[in-house]
Amino acid sequence: MLLAYDPATNPLNNNEWAFPLCECIHIASFALSVGTIAIVDLRLLGLGLRHQTAAQLVRDTMLWTLAGLTIVITSGLVIFTSDPLRYYYSPAFRLKIICLLIAIIFNYTVHRKVAQSKDPGLAGGLVGAISLFLWITIVFAGLFYAFT
Amino acid sequence: MSLAAEFSQWVAGTDFFTSLRESGLAYPIILSLHLSSIALFGGLILITDLRLLGVAMPSMTVSDVITQTRLWKRIGFVIMISCGLLLAGAKLDTYYDNPYFQLKLSLLLLVGVHALVFHRSVYGNAAELDRAAAIPGIAKTAACLSLVLWIGILSAGRWIAYYERPGQFGPPPAASAQPAKTVPAPR
Repeated sequence: MLLAYDPATNPLNNNEWAFPLCECIHIASFALSVGTIAIVDLRLLGLGLRHQTAAQLVRDTMLWTLAGLTIVITSGLVIFTSDPLRYYYSPAFRLKIICLLIAIIFNYTVHRKVAQSKDPGLAGGLVGAISLFLWITIVFAGLFYAFT
Repeated sequence: MSLAAEFSQWVAGTDFFTSLRESGLAYPIILSLHLSSIALFGGLILITDLRLLGVAMPSMTVSDVITQTRLWKRIGFVIMISCGLLLAGAKLDTYYDNPYFQLKLSLLLLVGVHALVFHRSVYGNAAELDRAAAIPGIAKTAACLSLVLWIGILSAGRWIAYYERPGQFGPPPAASAQPAKTVPAPR
């Protein structure tokens, strides 16, 4: 069944509105997920939101980060079906997926653990920087997919 | 030719914007920066609006959210607008009469109006909002309008890439035998 899949039959490629609509949902939900993660990262780096501890910010943003990630991944999977082979063979897309997997695992293990520790200190700064770097790389790789 | 058309073609035709448009690296990098700053700035806007609606960041006061995110919103906004100007300039000759581009600019103008209208009562009045028993309706109105405006700007921005000027590719739709197949635009 999968082998017989023809992207030309996909509604995304046949409806004028479907594809850009998915992209808009994708962008809005990554703003929500990456934006809320960045709030914690900036705190860990000591660059903002100093009135709260990183642990407090993690608690406050947790649900919205998860909601954003769920929507961004779902819409991403839908967009992927529009041209699976082109995505599969694109080096930029592969980089994006590798970084995404690392970023998600990192976010729910090291990032969370350090952010919830009593005094994240220097480790916090490092974790915040790695997190920001990973998420920005994912955005860049997603854009470069379209240009390569 | 209209003044807007002439101006747009002049802008896009300058050496600077021509080389930007034709650069295989600079253009996607600026576009990626534009999107990255949407993640930062857009995320902060969403969280602020959700806080005003009373559904996010329960352990932070409204004034904490507004004042502590202000600097990063400004930084994100400046990067976003700068990249946006570069991207628009490079393709202004095809964008100026694009209805989605015009819609995006109009909505950005309304964001300015929104800021003027709600600064006194909401964004510049955060301490007062903390003292209120419940978040006042005007703050919730401001949040809802902000959400609508920014999601509208994002959507209009994305749709710019899908607009085809009538007659730009082949005969106008009425004359073509078959409806054009939509192909995802790369940008």
